[in-house]
Amino acid sequence: MTGKPKILYVSHNHPTIRPGGAEAYAYELYRAVRDGGEFEPLFLARTGPPVSIASRYHEGTLLTGVNEDPNQYFFYTDTLEYDWLNGTPRGKAALIKYLREFLLAQRPDIVHLQHTLFFGYDMLREIRRTLGDDVPILYTLHEFLPICHRNGQLVRTTTEKPCREESPRRCHECFPEVSPQAFFMRKRFIQSQMSVVDRFLAPSNFLRDRFVDWGLPAEKVVFEEYGRLPVTAAPTRDRRRRNRLAFFGQLSYFKGVNVLLKAMKRLQDDGVDVHLSVHGANLELQPDEFRDEFAELLEATKATVSFEGEFNHDDLPALMADADWVVVPSIWWENSPLVIQEAAQHARPVIASDIGGMAEKVHDGISGLHFKADDPASLAATIAGAVSDRKLWDELQRRIQPPYAMDEHVRSLTRQYKELLATKSDDELVKPPAPATEIEDVRYA
Amino acid sequence: MPETEIEPSRMRTAAEPLEAPPLATMLAADVLAVHLESDEAEPELELELGEAEVAALSRCRFESEEGLAGHLIVARLDRVAPEALRSTCVDLRGFLRERLAALRRQDREAAMALLEDVAAADPPSLDPVGLATSRALAREGLREPHPPSVVEKDEPQGLHFDSVLALSETAFYVRGWARDGQAQPVRLTAVSPEGSRVELLPGIYRDPRPDVDSFYEEPTRTGEDGTGFLGYCETRAPSLLSTGWLLEMENALGVAREVPGPQVSRDLLSARSAILSDLHKERRWDTGLMDHVVPAVTLIQQRLEEEAEIEQVWQYGEPPEAPAVSIVVPLYGRIDFLEHQLAQFVHDPELREADLIYVLDSPELAPALESAAGQLFELYGLPFRVAVLSRNGGYSVANNRGASLARGDLLLLLNSDVLPDQPGWLGRMTSFYEEREGIGALGPKLLFEDDTLQHAGIRFQRPPDGGAWENEHFFKGLHRGLPAANVTRPVPAVSGACLMIARDLFEGAGGLRGMFVQGDYEDTDLCLRLRQDGHETWYLPEVELYHLEGQSYALETRNAMSRYNVWLHTRLWDAEIEAVMAAVG
Repeated sequence: MTGKPKILYVSHNHPTIRPGGAEAYAYELYRAVRDGGEFEPLFLARTGPPVSIASRYHEGTLLTGVNEDPNQYFFYTDTLEYDWLNGTPRGKAALIKYLREFLLAQRPDIVHLQHTLFFGYDMLREIRRTLGDDVPILYTLHEFLPICHRNGQLVRTTTEKPCREESPRRCHECFPEVSPQAFFMRKRFIQSQMSVVDRFLAPSNFLRDRFVDWGLPAEKVVFEEYGRLPVTAAPTRDRRRRNRLAFFGQLSYFKGVNVLLKAMKRLQDDGVDVHLSVHGANLELQPDEFRDEFAELLEATKATVSFEGEFNHDDLPALMADADWVVVPSIWWENSPLVIQEAAQHARPVIASDIGGMAEKVHDGISGLHFKADDPASLAATIAGAVSDRKLWDELQRRIQPPYAMDEHVRSLTRQYKELLATKSDDELVKPPAPATEIEDVRYA
Repeated sequence: MPETEIEPSRMRTAAEPLEAPPLATMLAADVLAVHLESDEAEPELELELGEAEVAALSRCRFESEEGLAGHLIVARLDRVAPEALRSTCVDLRGFLRERLAALRRQDREAAMALLEDVAAADPPSLDPVGLATSRALAREGLREPHPPSVVEKDEPQGLHFDSVLALSETAFYVRGWARDGQAQPVRLTAVSPEGSRVELLPGIYRDPRPDVDSFYEEPTRTGEDGTGFLGYCETRAPSLLSTGWLLEMENALGVAREVPGPQVSRDLLSARSAILSDLHKERRWDTGLMDHVVPAVTLIQQRLEEEAEIEQVWQYGEPPEAPAVSIVVPLYGRIDFLEHQLAQFVHDPELREADLIYVLDSPELAPALESAAGQLFELYGLPFRVAVLSRNGGYSVANNRGASLARGDLLLLLNSDVLPDQPGWLGRMTSFYEEREGIGALGPKLLFEDDTLQHAGIRFQRPPDGGAWENEHFFKGLHRGLPAANVTRPVPAVSGACLMIARDLFEGAGGLRGMFVQGDYEDTDLCLRLRQDGHETWYLPEVELYHLEGQSYALETRNAMSRYNVWLHTRLWDAEIEAVMAAVG
């Protein structure tokens, strides 16, 4: 239609259906690439239970439109028949018929997946066989789902500690009802489907290392941080004490909010003058045990902790304005938490767990602070130290780097898209893949 | 020669020793019995047969001190008897009562034996159930009954007929107990509902029944033999009826008792389970009980096998033109292995050129498999066939049926839970096989999911007291890199989980033997047969696949079947295995 190369983005959810980090980023990327003008992007978002109650609207197709954008589609899948262990639908009609028809009608030049969740890993194979070998396939990895059956968290069910290494035996220990043989087959199956991908993008080096350890070819996995849209930074008011903490995120067990509340209890008992605002949602989706503990802890810390409930992303600058520190107390490795970048956009130092992607993104003693993961005493001590030292906040804040910008990210991706197209093409005018400098004059078929 | 025509019966009184005219009855739709008296040696019959003809004629003769000899003549026709003939017949009860019931014992027994001959004849009657029912009626009218056995602690004789398992129309497995505190039993006879008599002594297996012995005051006179009996027996003629079995016992003093038997059980699979579990009574593979269990289970296996035919064959994609290897993969109990195998085979161009045949041995999964297979073919593009069996046949049958469809000169038996580690494995096995003179079977290295050895060749081991030989895998559980497990060499046997064999050798050997129960020891049995014909079995460690075994059968059933397979295997191969293992050192 436009003459520009077409790039298809695939997401497991549309952020307007249910909010979430990966899908919000995917949608922002789509719009930024569209605004960038070099490609014509398409956005295919999966819909259906459990994220939405929407059922299939039309006979003979799994597609519906999204608002009036001719380049956005919902793709309905029914998860009743989904094999959660191997990540594949039992009936393949959605892939071999409906997805195939969509791909043939659109003929994208590039496919960039953010997820295969709810579609199945074998959607990769379907894309490859329908579009042929010349279409580059990219896959951004947002968490460890291909590696870990526990929702991609890499936290052992046996100890609730982060998992360093998967194996059939260790996965069976976490899920006794699934045999080691079944885990072996799961890994081989997923890796077989992933072998058709040309490039994996890892938003953190930590995540990249985990996937290379798991068996993805190192040359295929490239570090590429999330790009963020510009925001107006929250003002930094002058204050005598920097003792206001904020938590932003899902109120889930893995996000460590109860660890933070326990730390606040300790601080309260020790008479430390500090306040925490908890901004978060999805409490009702959590297991009873967690909710009960959360409620108890809130009650015990009501002098110093206020629970503000859900927040709108648009309100974030105002909420950041009222905070001095942002706390990211996750007990799982994390990949590249968006909230860390957001804190950097608003020049708020982060206090984070000392593991995984958090340790990578927060520079301890330089522009933020670490504490011992899952350890309320360590977190309490770190907070106590942070709020008592007036100069510390200023020093850390000064050294905060602005996060990777979306337009820089789009430029980097554009370069990679062209490089991959060139590699696939027979055109002699093509240049070989180049390191991260801007290449404007590469022509492609 | 005077003509004799069938007339309605005439009463005969003792005061009138007249010649009894011919009296007829239908024993089955195509079987007629006639009784008459005559001084001729072989009186002829003239029958109103219409279109029918006599296919076979049997007769017996009852001598009489006074008057003429009686003759019983049984004619089997080539078709259902015409109405004209049937209308001249009386009902069987009347026939028996009038002409046969008053005969001497030996004549009545001769009459029953004649009926048994007719039932045993080949080709059989068109109406076997009718004939069986008539025989049963005749048995009741003609047999010599014995006093019933009463089970009381001070009764010297005690009898109980526990079970009758029908393995075929003429083969049965019976169980019960029989004891006699007065004198040694000299006869133990099982009598079928139709009157066929099976002498259980001396061959039947005797097992101890302390529960029975402790009930009685006077110990039994069966000597060292146990009070219980169980084992395999055959009737001369088919037995079709389910009620009416009897057990008779007679001791050295001529005292006899009888007891009614149970309903016949006809389910082959539960019979097999019950018979195999009897082996728990024994400790050694060479027990006499195996002389009964082996023919019983072998027969069951044959019958099950016959019923498991290829019902449908589905072809996906274009079959390769001249495949070197046909790969046969049985699917049992679950079909998801198909998807997992295809997801690995897709990376291997050699698999595209192979003749890949899946055999569905769980036909109830056919609809699900049909749906999945078509879709998986679209996704992976690898051609293959699916053969659906008419019923579950077991590991041997599934492989043999698959092999019957094979087009390659080489056959590869492959379990559904085997996944290759790297592409190229099939070509390396093929090259090795084709270059190795005198080779019969070839097996690669198989790994558990944690990279330890699942299979590195099979050897045999027996306990020090000379018990049964068991199959053992060399170095099982050790790491895949162990040097001793990485020596290419001839071995006593290899696992059927991944076994390459020339198709003509496989067919010549008759394929896998179905006498083993549910997937165990058929592979070593094959390798030993090949060895007997001068072919070696080789192990090729450079080829590695994963065997994700042990996910099919519940533990309890596996134990009962394993014991049988192990004992049967030793019974067949004891001497050869001893020689093979002596050579291995």
